[in-house]
Amino acid sequence: MHELSMAQGIINAVLDTAEANNATEVNEVTVEVGRLAMINPEQLQFILGVLIENTIMEDAEINFEEIPAEIKCYDCDFNGEAILDDKDHYAPMVKCPKCDSLNVETLNGKDIVVKNIVIEKPDDA
Amino acid sequence: MHQIADVEVAKNIMDANKKLAHKNLHKLEDNGIFCVDFVGAIGSGKTTLVEEIIDNTDYKIGVLAGDVISKFDAGRIEKHNVPVVGLNTGKECHLDAHLVGHGLADLPLDDLDMVIIENVGNLICPVDFELGSHLRIVVVSVTEGDDTVEKHPIIFQTSDVVVINKVDLADAVGADADKMVCDAQKLNPNVKVIKSSLKEGIGLDEIIAAIEEAMNS
Repeated sequence: MHELSMAQGIINAVLDTAEANNATEVNEVTVEVGRLAMINPEQLQFILGVLIENTIMEDAEINFEEIPAEIKCYDCDFNGEAILDDKDHYAPMVKCPKCDSLNVETLNGKDIVVKNIVIEKPDDA
Repeated sequence: MHQIADVEVAKNIMDANKKLAHKNLHKLEDNGIFCVDFVGAIGSGKTTLVEEIIDNTDYKIGVLAGDVISKFDAGRIEKHNVPVVGLNTGKECHLDAHLVGHGLADLPLDDLDMVIIENVGNLICPVDFELGSHLRIVVVSVTEGDDTVEKHPIIFQTSDVVVINKVDLADAVGADADKMVCDAQKLNPNVKVIKSSLKEGIGLDEIIAAIEEAMNS
């Protein structure tokens, strides 16, 4: 259940930023989730909902943006977005779109990033 | 009155762990220590493999033994007269670099050649958490079912060595060990795959050789 520690990390980042900007309420949170992070966004959403009760982000709309996997292919030197074969897996196999090789290095797509928040704050803050 | 503001956060939740993992790696390298991380499911044979490596090599080994609760694995390894620290994750499903950092602080690093980290039994969550090791070995037993490798692609894609364990039991449980070898090689063309039965003494030399090859590269 490592959604729990991920969720806590997201909430800490949001509340720290909100506090630093004198927010009275957080309206929106946008989180980028890499397609290769071993996280299920639905479970993450559920646990976030539980953990934000009684905080200033309690009513925030939480949006997830999926970040595609980028790879470098060792076989054909392709550099860019990978084909994700996920017909049998939630966690996909990462393939080169040019030569179909699985012999690739993952450059991007494993991270979880709190991108931005929309807050309310007093006019004089 | 109040105003609405859009504030950039740009905080990578994975960064904190990555930074600590690099710190762990530097600490190990400052002490000339090679570090191996064993991952695998519950009952795949990770603890037995750690015990066999301790008993069959001359390296001065320290062990970080991860468990969700309890000190069962640490207790087993202690009997082999090596320094061992049990790491309890509590409710979590993986070791992280923070816990490993605390564990390293309790090992006599100036008197070790190798640190072995035994992760908690899980083929999924450890993928997201670098620990600071030089080599990751995933242990999978035929008794888990010969579709286990293809069902958990990312841990096999991100490991350096795959150990297919308990091959002596393959016929008894109706598993095809060679299928598991092929699945691992298909998922990760660069991976080294070793079939083993630690009970029968099969494959241990190859596993030790794979660790030594990585140590010397």
